[in-house]
Amino acid sequence: MSRSRPYDVHEMRPGRVNIWQRGVPVWEAPIFTPTFVLLLLFIAIGTVLAGMRFMGGLGPFVGSTDEYAWGVWKTFNVMALTALGSGAMAIGIAAWVFHKKELHSIMRAALVTSFLFYFTGLVGLITDVGRPWNMWNALLPWKWNTESALWEVTIAMPIYCLIFLAFENSPLIVERIWFTGNKKQRDRIRKWRPRMRSIYPFMIAGAFVVPIGHQSSLGGLLVLAGDKVHPLWQSPVLPLLYLFQAAICGVAFVIVCVMASCLVWRRPLDMKVIGSLAKLLSGLILFWLVFRFADLIIRGQLGQAFELDAVSIAFLIENLLVLIPALVLLKPRLRETPRVAFTMALLACVGGLLYRFLPTTVTYSPGVEYIYFPSVAELLITAGLMSMAGAAYILAVKLFAVLPAPLRSWYAMMDHAKHERDSERKADA
Amino acid sequence: MSGYSRRDFLRTCGGTGLAVAAASSPVEARTPPKVPADAVGMLYDTTLCIGCKACVAACTEANDLVPDTALSGGLWQTPTALNSQTKNIIKLYQGETDWSFVKQQCMHCLDPACVSGCPFQALTKGDKGIVAWNPKQCIGCRYCEVVCPFKIPKFEWEKFNPKIVKCQMCDHRLDEFSQPACTQVCPTGAVTFGQRRMLLNEAKNRIAKNPGTYHEERVYGEKDGGGTQVLYLSHVPFGAIGLPKLSDKSLPSYGSKVHRMMTWFMVLPIMLYVFFVTLVRKNWREHDEEAMQAETEQGLRDQL
Repeated sequence: MSRSRPYDVHEMRPGRVNIWQRGVPVWEAPIFTPTFVLLLLFIAIGTVLAGMRFMGGLGPFVGSTDEYAWGVWKTFNVMALTALGSGAMAIGIAAWVFHKKELHSIMRAALVTSFLFYFTGLVGLITDVGRPWNMWNALLPWKWNTESALWEVTIAMPIYCLIFLAFENSPLIVERIWFTGNKKQRDRIRKWRPRMRSIYPFMIAGAFVVPIGHQSSLGGLLVLAGDKVHPLWQSPVLPLLYLFQAAICGVAFVIVCVMASCLVWRRPLDMKVIGSLAKLLSGLILFWLVFRFADLIIRGQLGQAFELDAVSIAFLIENLLVLIPALVLLKPRLRETPRVAFTMALLACVGGLLYRFLPTTVTYSPGVEYIYFPSVAELLITAGLMSMAGAAYILAVKLFAVLPAPLRSWYAMMDHAKHERDSERKADA
Repeated sequence: MSGYSRRDFLRTCGGTGLAVAAASSPVEARTPPKVPADAVGMLYDTTLCIGCKACVAACTEANDLVPDTALSGGLWQTPTALNSQTKNIIKLYQGETDWSFVKQQCMHCLDPACVSGCPFQALTKGDKGIVAWNPKQCIGCRYCEVVCPFKIPKFEWEKFNPKIVKCQMCDHRLDEFSQPACTQVCPTGAVTFGQRRMLLNEAKNRIAKNPGTYHEERVYGEKDGGGTQVLYLSHVPFGAIGLPKLSDKSLPSYGSKVHRMMTWFMVLPIMLYVFFVTLVRKNWREHDEEAMQAETEQGLRDQL
């Protein structure tokens, strides 16, 4: 039997419309590439530094002071990057609640990236707190302060990541075991599958409520900081702004991530799905911008936005970075052009990250001369955390059926596997 | 299959919007904090302070702190600001025409932002309204530092098991000495200790007796930031001696209300959950049917 090709070269031409039908592992690429090794190196550096940080105080490792008490591990890894990890919530709601069926093909990528952003955020949080050994208080409800936004974040983030996202990602692993495992394992999966599927809708609904809570709480964190946060950002509706902005970042990041992955591993694109996501993104951004500027006008702070000092310019850049994608992606022809969709989603990601990062750090003014800048060790640990997410993502797409592909890629993989088995048998004989 | 009509979409949309708005919209502010009946406090008067710093030394001794001698090269206790070794400090303000000493320590707010923000009740407003820190429940997140409008809590950045350091009004020695170390040693009565309402009366008497002396003819802390248990009388502008301009509403009275609402018996999250479950199950059944059909036709298992 001749071995069939993974897919036809002509069908990989960029811009060609294809249909994503099924998640297929990137089975034809080796795992240990130079990029992967580089990521492992960053992880190693970060791990060593994090280990050293736990030998003593936080002081030598961070640029934080009593005035700028929170550094990048909290303000970037937790408060900014989990917004990028909200794709599972935003796209999940569109797919399961609003019944946008075409988005199911991209859900696996969204779930994996969300899990990784949240997981590395949690690791960052543990590295950041000064007395992590007291974290067991989180398990004792009578020690909770339920009116604290930070309590909600501390409780809900691990629950969301380690229960809901882990559960929703488990089909990846089960599926792999199904195809690689022995008869006993298959029997066990056959037995458990209906049970898993029967609780699945209840878990999905939970996986929407929990992030809605804590993504808005992340905004609530800043409300209590009062005047220290610049009035262009500080607002009583910050929780709602943060919530919708999480949806923006989540959708934009999934577009960027899936398109980049398809480019790197030569997968055909399904511009129908991307276009549908881009349309959603555009709508979300426009709604958010109207909401944000209405809030500025009601609070009488709109004038500050156009004073053209450093803060106002940062504010304008941040808004333009989301406004431009929103307008460009309104046009169906443009949002179904791969290059445009990718660039615009990337801009929206950067704008979203700025929105999350500026008010906690750059325009956060505790009224001292000192200006916070992260230390080298702090940045290296942050880089380590991001590399951890990157390396795990690469592993995930190569081992599990994460990235969407046409059906023929699936058959190609199966043919390949069969061919391998046959030649092994021949070699044995 | 009939597909998903525009009307269905709008209906779902409206439902989600309402549920989300209900879950996170601001609600009425809670009732303003009442002054605890046994609230103690301190009254500091800039016109009486001679800047002797006896209170700084006494505070260090009473709280077993290591004196901050960094500036003098190890010779004298010379803190330049409140820090993890200094719970109480005397600073000098020099303007062009006026000058004043000022004492800084925890204000013991009536409705403290640090207590409202602390995730695991490590900071609590306890007996006599004193804001105290509990080492067993603190995870070291430093949110108290982020939210405190007076920038009082300090963190031991260099320590392996860092503490949050702030004035606790000498609650460990109130039984023995009946007042904090700083008020006990003050030679001029610039800082005095007592019941908050008595101190407030005393402050208002001083304003009445010395018209034109005090800035704005009012007591800082009576209402500022929702009211504090440490009260200030100043002959220079409050801003000049580091007392921020705050509204009469405390930060938690609006800053934490979303979360008070959201966690109120979990009513809103549960409503939101029920709403999602209903729609997801409906769509799930359809998805399931299609998946099973595809499984029999193509022989490929459904991917979730």
